[in-house]
Amino acid sequence: MSYTLKGRIEARLVAALPPLLVAVTIHRWWAFELVALMLVLGAALDAAVYDRVLDYQPAWLAVPLGALELGLVLLAMRMPVTWAALGLFALGWLTAQLCGHAIFPRLQLDYAEAGGELGRAGALLAAAAAAGAFAGVAGAVSVIPPTVHLHGTVQGPLVIRHAQTLVGGIVKGGIVIRAKHVTLRDVTVVGGENGIDVEADDAMLLGVHVLGPKLDGIHVRRGSVMIENCSVAAPGSAWVQGIDVSFAMDKGMSMIEGCTIDGVREGIVTHWAMIDIRDNHVSNTALRGIDMGEMSMGTITHNTVVGSKNVGILCLDHSECDIAHNTIQGAPMPIQQQFFATAKLHANTIG
Amino acid sequence: MRCAIVGSGLAGLASYATLRHGGVPARDIVVFGTHADPTEVWRGRAAAIRQRRMRSESDGHLAPSSFPGLALRERSLRALAETATNRYRPSVELFLRHAAEVRRRSGWDESFVERRVAAVRAVDGGFELDGDGPFAHVLLAPGHPGLNTLPGTVHAYEPHEYEPRVAVIGAGMAAATEWLNALAAGSDVVSVRRREPLRRPLNVPRQLFSRRGLAEFHRLAPPARAARLRELAAPSYPDGREWDVEVPVADEPPAGYQVIAATGFREGFAEDPLLAALVDEHGVETYDRWIALAPDSTVPALTDDRRTLSIAGVAGQWAFPAADTIAGAKYAARAFLRRVCRTR
Repeated sequence: MSYTLKGRIEARLVAALPPLLVAVTIHRWWAFELVALMLVLGAALDAAVYDRVLDYQPAWLAVPLGALELGLVLLAMRMPVTWAALGLFALGWLTAQLCGHAIFPRLQLDYAEAGGELGRAGALLAAAAAAGAFAGVAGAVSVIPPTVHLHGTVQGPLVIRHAQTLVGGIVKGGIVIRAKHVTLRDVTVVGGENGIDVEADDAMLLGVHVLGPKLDGIHVRRGSVMIENCSVAAPGSAWVQGIDVSFAMDKGMSMIEGCTIDGVREGIVTHWAMIDIRDNHVSNTALRGIDMGEMSMGTITHNTVVGSKNVGILCLDHSECDIAHNTIQGAPMPIQQQFFATAKLHANTIG
Repeated sequence: MRCAIVGSGLAGLASYATLRHGGVPARDIVVFGTHADPTEVWRGRAAAIRQRRMRSESDGHLAPSSFPGLALRERSLRALAETATNRYRPSVELFLRHAAEVRRRSGWDESFVERRVAAVRAVDGGFELDGDGPFAHVLLAPGHPGLNTLPGTVHAYEPHEYEPRVAVIGAGMAAATEWLNALAAGSDVVSVRRREPLRRPLNVPRQLFSRRGLAEFHRLAPPARAARLRELAAPSYPDGREWDVEVPVADEPPAGYQVIAATGFREGFAEDPLLAALVDEHGVETYDRWIALAPDSTVPALTDDRRTLSIAGVAGQWAFPAADTIAGAKYAARAFLRRVCRTR
């Protein structure tokens, strides 16, 4: 087909409508972002490249061009590739193919002659796309969690029951997260039975500091969490674990990255969870530095475990652990695999 | 009767099917022509050159909407894969079967009147065709004005066999087909041509089938547009290994050779008595060998809010350079339908 630029843009608007509808329905920010990027990057390619280079576009070219656009969209989103994202993109791509090769030629006799331009239908489409985009933006704005800034010290325990972003401040007595899509950023927690207790999916703990917890610094049960650049120190008892993520194998993947944990009984503990543990510094634990146990699966990479009085890194009880590029110093038993666990070791440094 | 189609070939059938698809009842259309079977003339020519595959692609068919194309009608994955990569060429047999289906479904026979129209005259409220009418909307699809024959030769589109030594004059699709035919018949073949053949998949570059190329074409001043049409009229045939055969080239047919003239058709409106008379009687604007048409294939001086005179087929090249293809016939037919609907 020999598209005009207007024909290309109209085809793209049509292709974006079903994914936009899905995004509005599922109310997820990533979906709105993906549809917006599909439209913006696609239109930019139409104007700057395709319209100048392709006087004629054979049908097969839709496959490599679609792959190129998918790659660009995913790069721009800077998120891991998920089946849902691929599916949403594929929905738009398939819509474009179906409309361009079957539906529009059937409905509009001169569709190909018109270079893909839809005439009056194009104006209606533009209006529909504008309305859809407006609804999409409105929907996206409506699902952005509110941001709450804490100033000074707040007496806890603080129980969070709605999606939100909590920024700054000091909370005494612990925080309990019971809603999806909660983010804590630069919050300091002092005391509490558990410093931060996560009981929901899709929590993000960024730059949080936990001091003086009585049981766990960060305690995750039946949830999924991304923890970055945290610290746990000054345990309030001899039984404190730094971070414990457990009973979450059927939840999303969790990640602990860039945390500093010092002086607790066990540094990072998992039970029946899928998790990546990387770039953490665990020091002076009374038992294990990092313990991936009880049928967990995951990677333990680029961590430093210093001064553990027992095992540096333990892979336990049917777990599958990929242990690589870690540095373990001063542990009586640097790395241990026990009870039907499978550990793959690569390039670890034992000091 | 509001509409008349003059010409009962493939362009006539495509136009008729388009009008019917657009909701014009059969009783409001009359088709004047010399053959009740719209494929008869074309089929004879295709048989003469032993053509087995169309040059056109999946959408080169006579149904009003381009989807479903002929590849989909074949119901084979191979045909679909070939059409996605522009390598699909429908067979002549499939095309003719499809044409018969379009003829039956459109109700062509209800509207057909066997008569050669000799004159079109503009009158109040439309046009008279040899005194019949008036018809508010007339589409002329007279087809090629005749074979471009050469004395002492057999034309490629006339029935013929191959002698042991064959010289083929021409460098287009028919000539290339005749090389292959004669070689397959065991003949020694010589190509007689003045220029090297152009190789391209369709009659004209693909963008000239859509607004992308047409908008620029329509902006050309008449001398430049005529020059462009002459350039596009250069003989060509598709790329592909099946066409790549070594044939010696000569300037003149060697003595003792059977000479086949693959020289196409006579060209220009003046070669067609109906169009020549139309131009003479109504002072229709022309340029070189073409009638100067509006971009929607209508004759501007004879078309207004109440009546339409359109030209489809090879004589419509001023509006659509590939007018002698099925896509060209449908281009004129769709524009004609828009006017008919607007004045309904």
